[in-house]
Amino acid sequence: MTNIAVKVDDLTVAYNYKPVLWDIDLEIPEGVLMAIVGPNGAGKSTLIKSILGILKPLAGSVTIYGKPYNKQRSLVAYVPQKGSVDWDFPTTALDVVMMGTYGSLGWIKRPGQKEKKSALEALEKVGMLAFQSRQINQLSGGQQQRIFLARALVQDAAIYFMDEPFQGVDATTEIAIINILKELRKANKTVIVVHHDLQTVPEYFDWVTFLNVKKIATGPVKDIFNDDNLTKTYGINFKVSVQE
Amino acid sequence: MSSSQIEIQLIASIVAIACAIPGTFLVLRKMAMISDAISHSILPGIVIGFFITQDLNSPVLIILAALTGILTVVLVEYIQKTGLVKEDTAIGLVFPILFSIGVILIAKNANDVHLDVDAVLLGELAFAPFDRMIIGGTDIGPKSLVIIGSILVLTIILLIAFFKELKISTFDAGLAASLGFSPTVIHYGLMTVSSVTTVGAFDAVGAILVVALMIAPAATAYLLTTDLKRMLLLAIVFGVTGAISGYWLAHFLDASIAGSITTMLGVIFFLVYLFAPSKGVIAVIYRERQQRTEVSLLTFLLHLKNHQEEEERHVNHLNEHINWQKVRSKTVVELAQKNNMIVIDNGVVSLTEKGEEFTSLAIDYIITNEDAKIEYMKDDFFLFRG
Repeated sequence: MTNIAVKVDDLTVAYNYKPVLWDIDLEIPEGVLMAIVGPNGAGKSTLIKSILGILKPLAGSVTIYGKPYNKQRSLVAYVPQKGSVDWDFPTTALDVVMMGTYGSLGWIKRPGQKEKKSALEALEKVGMLAFQSRQINQLSGGQQQRIFLARALVQDAAIYFMDEPFQGVDATTEIAIINILKELRKANKTVIVVHHDLQTVPEYFDWVTFLNVKKIATGPVKDIFNDDNLTKTYGINFKVSVQE
Repeated sequence: MSSSQIEIQLIASIVAIACAIPGTFLVLRKMAMISDAISHSILPGIVIGFFITQDLNSPVLIILAALTGILTVVLVEYIQKTGLVKEDTAIGLVFPILFSIGVILIAKNANDVHLDVDAVLLGELAFAPFDRMIIGGTDIGPKSLVIIGSILVLTIILLIAFFKELKISTFDAGLAASLGFSPTVIHYGLMTVSSVTTVGAFDAVGAILVVALMIAPAATAYLLTTDLKRMLLLAIVFGVTGAISGYWLAHFLDASIAGSITTMLGVIFFLVYLFAPSKGVIAVIYRERQQRTEVSLLTFLLHLKNHQEEEERHVNHLNEHINWQKVRSKTVVELAQKNNMIVIDNGVVSLTEKGEEFTSLAIDYIITNEDAKIEYMKDDFFLFRG
């Protein structure tokens, strides 16, 4: 039996007492590359943020390998939406990647040569080594996304959460990113991605969760990625016809 | 210079440094208006503290006033969270109310003491050296210098200890939270330091100048650097420059010191805004013009590369083929010639070897955006300077 990497029990999250996630039960097995799909306002980002303790749920609980998140931080890496930060911030690509090491350093302690070295390695993995000293607003959207990915890689986590990593990136970057994600899965890491492009779900992912305020379905792409679940999630008659 | 002149400049400089540090983070967090709110709404705290202690420099007063500063932030956030009004409106609601409570308290109760609204708004820097701190019979300096000096030391210790935490929570609060650096703790820590600094600086420079000292030097530094540490250093340098030059401006004009310092900070910002090497107005206009010419040059070279037919490459027909005005095509042709990228033979323009190479490299660069390929072209051409 495979381990359960992330377990969500009866999770309800509300903004100003208006629920955006209703009673979510979810088990994510170790080693899957999972897409979370659903329409705008379905609570996809909210689900990730609640798992990571960034948002406080109204009810329910989350465990990472059987323990609460705040005991398991070092096992988890997070890539927020690119638009959630100010890219005019006075800092360089390398410095942003170094931020991935802050978690293992803890409070007060500063990053040193060891942290710099792993940041440079991560930059190389995403093909951005040449841009290490660039001011971050001098990078293209795809390059910024790669920097974010490198920052998550530096954390050397067991579980990766990514909020729309393919948003506004060019095709080359999209392929580069998905290849890295597939490598992570090969290394038995668990990768959870908020995803918008339904066409690429069967090609990129092996696991999928349909979400629209409530959980519609979760499981292997080959079993549950079908018109029925898509229709239930998006509310319109869907014909993706991805199955042969 | 008399010793009190030196002391005034020293107080102004230390206040400037103490303000520039939290100010840099406020500017980066887009919270400049919060410092305005804090600087006004600490007034009731100061007044109540003054009634209790009868001493403008008492630590109790500083703590009470800092607490009103934090109360401001809490109230603004609370009102904003209801979703009924936006942040700027919430700020505009909270601080005038708190400030006016302070004004009423002064008017009702403090007619006979050294505390009036003018002093609160503009400070009494000129009188600062007269109020001495005397411990065990020895004069250790002006009270306001001792107070703001202690606040500065504390600020620097906190800055060095929590630099990494401040940086990550300012740049990416979501990541900070997921890594266990509570953005709320850091946010309120910064608000506390800002409030304490404001109170400490208040007596010397007044509510309005505190805002200027927090925001103007940081905003000026922001135009000059892409590195957070350097931004902090530059903000400090601009703050101190403004403080000292402002003091001398006041000296020669025989005018308010606080007002002159604020004026100088404005002048410094304006100069940097115009002349900053990459973000300044003049640099931007110049760069845009250069880029326009260079894009034209590239378009022109590409046209030559793509067309072997002579009539497409004849000097007299260039205008109609690339659809440019005469003046512009003349500049472009001259620029290309100057760089040995084209030769004109019998009125027919051809690419030189250098021109061929440059064109393909440039196209490659635009497609791949890889730096190594065009490293040597960077000095000549703006287009490639990223």
